[in-house]
Amino acid sequence: MNTLTIAWIVLPFIAGFSIFLVPRLDRYLAIFATIGSAGYALQLIISRSPIALQLLDNFGVTLLIDSLSGYFILTNALVTAAVILYCWQSEKAAFFYGQLIILHGSLNAAFACTDFVSLYVALEVSGIAAALLIAYPRTDRSIWVALRYLFVSNVGMLFYLVGAVLVYKAHHSFTFAGLRGSPPEALALIFMGLLTKAGVFVSGSWLPLTHSESETPVSAMLSGIVVKAGVYPLVRCALILDEIDPIIRVFGVGTAVLGVSYAVFEKDTKRMLAFHTVSQLGFMLAAPEVSGFYALTHGLVKSALFMLAGALPSRNFKELQQQPIDRSLWIVLAIAGFSISGFPLLSGFGAKVLTMKNLLPWQEIAMNMVAVGTAISFAKFIFLPHQQGVDPKPIKLGFWLAIGLLLGGLVVANIVYFEAYDAENTIKAIAIIAAGWLAYAAIFRRTVIKLPQMFERFEDLIGVMTLVTILLFWATFV
Amino acid sequence: MLEAFTLATILCGFFAIIFKQNLVMKIFAMDVMSTGVIAYYVLIAAHGGLITPIIGNAKQNAAYADPVPQSVILTAIVIGFSIQALMLVGAMKLAQDHPTLDTREIEKGNAP
Repeated sequence: MNTLTIAWIVLPFIAGFSIFLVPRLDRYLAIFATIGSAGYALQLIISRSPIALQLLDNFGVTLLIDSLSGYFILTNALVTAAVILYCWQSEKAAFFYGQLIILHGSLNAAFACTDFVSLYVALEVSGIAAALLIAYPRTDRSIWVALRYLFVSNVGMLFYLVGAVLVYKAHHSFTFAGLRGSPPEALALIFMGLLTKAGVFVSGSWLPLTHSESETPVSAMLSGIVVKAGVYPLVRCALILDEIDPIIRVFGVGTAVLGVSYAVFEKDTKRMLAFHTVSQLGFMLAAPEVSGFYALTHGLVKSALFMLAGALPSRNFKELQQQPIDRSLWIVLAIAGFSISGFPLLSGFGAKVLTMKNLLPWQEIAMNMVAVGTAISFAKFIFLPHQQGVDPKPIKLGFWLAIGLLLGGLVVANIVYFEAYDAENTIKAIAIIAAGWLAYAAIFRRTVIKLPQMFERFEDLIGVMTLVTILLFWATFV
Repeated sequence: MLEAFTLATILCGFFAIIFKQNLVMKIFAMDVMSTGVIAYYVLIAAHGGLITPIIGNAKQNAAYADPVPQSVILTAIVIGFSIQALMLVGAMKLAQDHPTLDTREIEKGNAP
């Protein structure tokens, strides 16, 4: 099993470098590596036996892989595979697939390691690969967005490094467990870096622009899985150390409320999806024990939604309400919208029920409000006018394969938590959706309030980091 | 004392990232910041002693420097250097259309 684990970590990197050597095999090598990851993750989830590895000596790399990381790895494999299928018939160069699979590999490594240095390396590699993917079209705007992303994440990670060495100073080891008994400034600096990387709460104000201005497949990848590489270590720390758990939960609720309140007022499809990602990260942090399943359902549905938004004729909801979209496109859009709003029969329902069950009493009201907000935001997609046989853009087969894989995954994932299907949960879920739709029809359909683009300028993104550090320092001190 | 100097270097870099307008200056400021972080690691490694921990280098039980933070920061230096290079390439590309490299102007031109 240990050899298999190492082989699984190394496989995407070997595939990535082979793509540069044999560019003709690019897609096949890339999809092969994702199938390997998916198989490994499924085996992990089914066997439920955690694997703990300590490579090299005392100060070496430590890995811990259990069913929680199994869900994250499975999400990673499915989203990457869907993105490769989506791009299959496009004119993307081998470089794109090479970077994509290296990104996949570095995220796998981030979901496996339990020490701060390996995590640092994995996160930085994923940051570089993601920036290269964002800059792939090489327009001025894409280069600026990539530069901004790299800048913000690297400054966050420099603070993280200072925090990591403070942990080392206290314990002579870099493992996550060393956070216990470390000085509060170590915790504040490390968490600031991770919160920035994950795009949580106000330190996530870089996220909407980055995710909405990238190309469709890259947005799907970023929102589907890359941000979760920052969430996973936070969740892991909260599970290892009970003292940290309340801090993570507070940040979860804060980011869920902040993200969804922007999402309901947003008039641009991709920006709305990006703000909604911020709020869903909050759901994962609000209930750390069950975040794996939520990450899986959110990753699948959000990447499908980004691909669908890329196929719509316009990015503006106002214009979309004027011109009908194709019926087949609308059906898949509605399925994805139903899943993310938590409608029964799709696994978004199971994930929401499971998360709500693991909330603490003080979180419940806020999170139910956020669930209603989600239903409001996705009513914008579900109530778009549609018609048979409108075909403004020819849609490729790869697109349908990718969507089929993601939505099929959503239906199959129901088996993970089929206990959710009882009368009370079903009625509650339908009531939340009905409340959301009523609010949409009565108020939000016509509102033209435009919230200010808070903290999205470059200097603000960096400046906000100081605020978050002070907040974290205060939270750990109390 | 030395610790205060390294932390001051980190903060200098950080505030320069915020207050400098020019993109290249911002990138250099980030380098100053990472230099501060590297110095901090080296300083912590030197807490126990200064002798290089290589077999056959010195006598038994001497005051050796801690090799772990040094080897860790070596990785971070390489990563920081590659990010620096990547950013400078990006700045070069942007300079063709924005010769002043003023971040406010670039941002205004590329906001949605």
